[in-house]
Amino acid sequence: MASTSTSANGGSTNASIVSQPVVFTTHTQYPLPYQKYMIPTTWRRYQLSQLVNKALSLVKPVPFDFLSKGEIIRGSLAEWCSEHGVGEEETLEIEYIESVMPPQKMAEIPHEDWVSSVSCQLPRYFLTASYDGHLRAFDLSKNLSASIPAHPAPITSLCLVSSSSLDDDSQQLIIASASHDLTARLTQVTLNPIASTNESKALASLHLHTAPVSSISANAAGTHVLTASWDGLIGYWDTTVPSTDEVPEPALNERDRSKKRRRVEEGEGKGKRKAPLSVFKSHTARVSKVLFASGAGATAYSCGFDSTVRRWDTETGVCSHTITASEKPFLDMALTPDGNSVLATSTDRSMTLYDLRSSTTTLVSASNTYMHPSTPSCVATSATNSHQVVTGAYDGVVRVWDLRSPKSAMATFKPWNGSGHKVLSVDWKRGIVGVGGERGLEMWKVGEEQKV
Amino acid sequence: MALDDAKRSSRKRKESQDEYSFSKAHQDAGNLEMMSDEEAGGGVDSDDGQLEEFPEIDVASDSEEEEDESDEQSDGESYDDNEEEEESDDSEIPLFPKSKNVISDITGKLKRIYPEIEPDYDSDSSTEDTTNRVGDVPMHWYDDLPHVGYDINGKQVLRPARGDELDKFLATVEDPSSWTSAFDKNAQADKPLTTEELDIIKRLYAGEVPDATYDPYEPTTEWFTSKQEVMPLSGAPEPKRRWIPSKWEKQKVMKIVRAIRQGRIVPSKTKAAQKLEVYSIWSEPSSSHPPPLPAPKPPLPTNSESYNPPEEYLPTEEEQKAWETLDPEDRERDYLPKKYSSLRLVPAYDRFIKDRFNRQLDLYMAPRIQRVKLNIDPNTLIPKLPSPSSLKPFPIYRSLSLNHAKGRARALSISPDGLWVISGNEGGVVSLWEVNIGREVKKWTFEGKIGAVEWCPRTDVSYFAVAINDTIQMFIPPNVSAPVLSLTQSVLAPTTLPPAPSTPSLVKWVTPPSSAWSVDLPILTIHLPASTEVPTQLIWHRRGDYFATVSSGTAYGGGVWIHQVTRRHSQAPFKKIRGVVQLVLFHPLKPHFFVATQQYVRIYNLSEQKLLKTLLPGIKWISSMDVHPSGDHLIVGGYDRKLCWFDLELSEKPYKVLRYHSRAIRSLHFHPSYPLFASSSDDGSIQVFHSRVYNDLMTDPLIVPLKILRGHEVREGLGVLQVKWCSRQPWLVSGGADGNVSVWCS
Repeated sequence: MASTSTSANGGSTNASIVSQPVVFTTHTQYPLPYQKYMIPTTWRRYQLSQLVNKALSLVKPVPFDFLSKGEIIRGSLAEWCSEHGVGEEETLEIEYIESVMPPQKMAEIPHEDWVSSVSCQLPRYFLTASYDGHLRAFDLSKNLSASIPAHPAPITSLCLVSSSSLDDDSQQLIIASASHDLTARLTQVTLNPIASTNESKALASLHLHTAPVSSISANAAGTHVLTASWDGLIGYWDTTVPSTDEVPEPALNERDRSKKRRRVEEGEGKGKRKAPLSVFKSHTARVSKVLFASGAGATAYSCGFDSTVRRWDTETGVCSHTITASEKPFLDMALTPDGNSVLATSTDRSMTLYDLRSSTTTLVSASNTYMHPSTPSCVATSATNSHQVVTGAYDGVVRVWDLRSPKSAMATFKPWNGSGHKVLSVDWKRGIVGVGGERGLEMWKVGEEQKV
Repeated sequence: MALDDAKRSSRKRKESQDEYSFSKAHQDAGNLEMMSDEEAGGGVDSDDGQLEEFPEIDVASDSEEEEDESDEQSDGESYDDNEEEEESDDSEIPLFPKSKNVISDITGKLKRIYPEIEPDYDSDSSTEDTTNRVGDVPMHWYDDLPHVGYDINGKQVLRPARGDELDKFLATVEDPSSWTSAFDKNAQADKPLTTEELDIIKRLYAGEVPDATYDPYEPTTEWFTSKQEVMPLSGAPEPKRRWIPSKWEKQKVMKIVRAIRQGRIVPSKTKAAQKLEVYSIWSEPSSSHPPPLPAPKPPLPTNSESYNPPEEYLPTEEEQKAWETLDPEDRERDYLPKKYSSLRLVPAYDRFIKDRFNRQLDLYMAPRIQRVKLNIDPNTLIPKLPSPSSLKPFPIYRSLSLNHAKGRARALSISPDGLWVISGNEGGVVSLWEVNIGREVKKWTFEGKIGAVEWCPRTDVSYFAVAINDTIQMFIPPNVSAPVLSLTQSVLAPTTLPPAPSTPSLVKWVTPPSSAWSVDLPILTIHLPASTEVPTQLIWHRRGDYFATVSSGTAYGGGVWIHQVTRRHSQAPFKKIRGVVQLVLFHPLKPHFFVATQQYVRIYNLSEQKLLKTLLPGIKWISSMDVHPSGDHLIVGGYDRKLCWFDLELSEKPYKVLRYHSRAIRSLHFHPSYPLFASSSDDGSIQVFHSRVYNDLMTDPLIVPLKILRGHEVREGLGVLQVKWCSRQPWLVSGGADGNVSVWCS
């Protein structure tokens, strides 16, 4: 189909049509030989995509998007040239990237309260943390598999520490959650879709912070957990469950004794009180996000309201690298799959790409800034495509970005029928974007579909 | 009588005639015309008779009606004779016409009739043929020539032969008319005199009037009647006394003369004595007065005012109609261009009077004094302010908002760590929520209106105060770390209560038993005196031990109470206060206390208990007030839209008065750490200012308007009721009458 239409186009090309010299480059797996093409300026993305497809003689047509000077070519080539003042004689360098298919809504799971965190790590389950203090797990058919009242206060963040399949059906998970009640918890959940007898057990509560814990993250192996809190501390924990309380109960007044006794009885199901391995102190304000670097390295990254992104050596607990921005309180952060750069969203409505490889510690090395119309609250990178990022914002719009095109997003979609409710969390795994926010959870199918 | 005299004189003349003519004849020929020369021969006999008769003729010509009739008749006969004689004698030289006295048929009186003039060629002397046509040139030019001139045909007129002296003499003897002839210069010959000339000569001889027609004896004409007339015009000649010098004048003059002689009147000094002084007119400096202004010039006519303007100046019909419909004052010009093919067709100028009147008005209204124009570029008057983009960060957009379903969000406070917001509305709901996410974490519901909420500024404890009805209730937020919680509890509800003050206070501090403690219930309640209205303001001292409340209405001590948490004691600092207290403030560093009444701000020293200063903002009704964290500057906002910036070290008058809101200012707040302040107004907008205060006393504070934040709706004339800054971030939280509490981020 593509070839026929391309040939039709080629046939219609005549001398009267103005053409533009163009060189195509790409970072995709479909490289073209370096060659100058004379392209009619009336061509649009569709024709260009067909040209590339035909030149590559691909069996299965792959749609492409075209970038030049960091901007996606939306209209015709002539419009783009006149907008950017490119002369007729000038050779245009156009980079082509695989295009993002329009996102499609898969499912909507309403919640009673705001969803603060979403995880799509598990292949068949979605985990959500909500402001009502419950951790929830949903299977692919939108059934509530488990609902665990993990905290008495709103949960701000969750992460999957480890999962192991007990048998064919049931899975045993360890979920770490951070909450406003100043603690983080490790909870063991057994998910059995057939028996629907889902057991949950609080393994341990992590006691360090004196302010609400904003973020929790586990490493790939599931051996260590990092917590970040509003008090500016980052706790580094292992996931082994201690046999006894490592942290004593707070000493209470005499008048609270009876109360305390009652509390202790209540607190039987809370698990053991656990102390951190080490505490990273460098942030001067609230830490909003902490992350383990991908891979087995003992490196972690954190960002905070003090406008810094810090790299930590978890072994020594030393801040090895600091990126200081000016007046950018960072809200969320994500590492690119190659681990070389970090994307951080801040309250000044921007998402900024920082290169982590630069040796100077304090120099701001923002490569690109992606402006949003509203506060971007969360960011997630694609596991497969190192150039694609999804951000959610307070205006209720989720944007899919290509990092090479900072001017405008590749695709946008509005969960909850565009009602404008805040998006608080996004996660992107296996072509599915989980969006958590004021109105619950939504799943959207974004990109990568054809490669699955 | 006179006639007789004339006759006598004529006789005398006759006697001396010969002698006279003789002597005349001997005179120089060039000088006198009495050179008798050849003359056409006339009747010699009649010559004597003519001479004899001459006076008679003259008498006859003078018609004297006064003489008796007989005389006249006889004269008339003789006259007739004379006439005949004359006619026969000098036919070619006619006498001037004689008049006749005839009785008129019509009037019945005598009238003089002159003979008819015959209109033939002879009657006109101008047609007389003079042969010599050289004109009035000196005839001696022709002395050496044979001719004396030229006739009309250009022929020479030959000089007539002239005899010598002998011939002349002979002529006097032979020619009887020679003595009555004279030399004609033009003809260069003697010509006999005409009878008129002779008559004139004769009259001159006789000493009479030469004019023959003059009658010295004319009957008197009564130019003025002798009768009494209505108009007293008198025909009487001037009396003699008119020509006689006045006797009184003479006496007056003599008096002056005597005075001059006696030296009583000194004649003025002679002007000639004064010498002309020479001076340089340019040496003096010119006058400081400006020269009189020239009259304003009327504008020059333009092309369109021409009677024949170019086509493009002619108005179209629509323009003409539009011009006519406009009021005369609104018209761009007061005429319509019209075209005339020629200047002849231009009608009278109908606006002439009006133009002149306007011109007079212009002259009348024109300035008499030339004022020196201050040439000020308005741009230089605008203070040089730094660009707002260089003063980042400041809030620029609304990040999120939380809606209170019912009631205006009037009370608002942010925790000292800048992470939590409590907002209270008029429906009695107090919400605790995160600044950054906007999720309501906890909600308290009360009966009544929330007057104020305020977080205790201490960082080691965590609680906030809510003013509701006539109570102030202290709450501990949930999820507080254990040490903070226990410390807070021990602060608010110590196990051992401090000793009660000796005098029973009107204010009661109540703590419920510890078993009943929960997050939903206040850990401490302060009951103000019963009749007190809800406190509209609650303000903490920086240390977090004291707080002050202001209740509206005329309560005890102006409604101002200062409470001390550690001593669980309240006191009213003022027994009586002038004016209605609107707001109070603690000085951030000194033990000073600001009290704003409707129009004044008074500063009291609490430790010395005296009034320090009264500030005069000039605002009709103060609505809001805040003190800079340095303590040296105060901003006061009013319901009349004014904002006054006081430098407390300078004066009682405002350093700067700003008026930028279109409605009343509702709230003001200085940022605790950033150089920012914000003001909110009933126009639904929040304005953010950069306010840098320098430690250097010489430098004035820098106030730069940064941003107008719009987004709150105006409900029932109320806009944004409260603004508060986040302590650590340049973020602003605002509560509006629409029930929304918004967070504005940079």
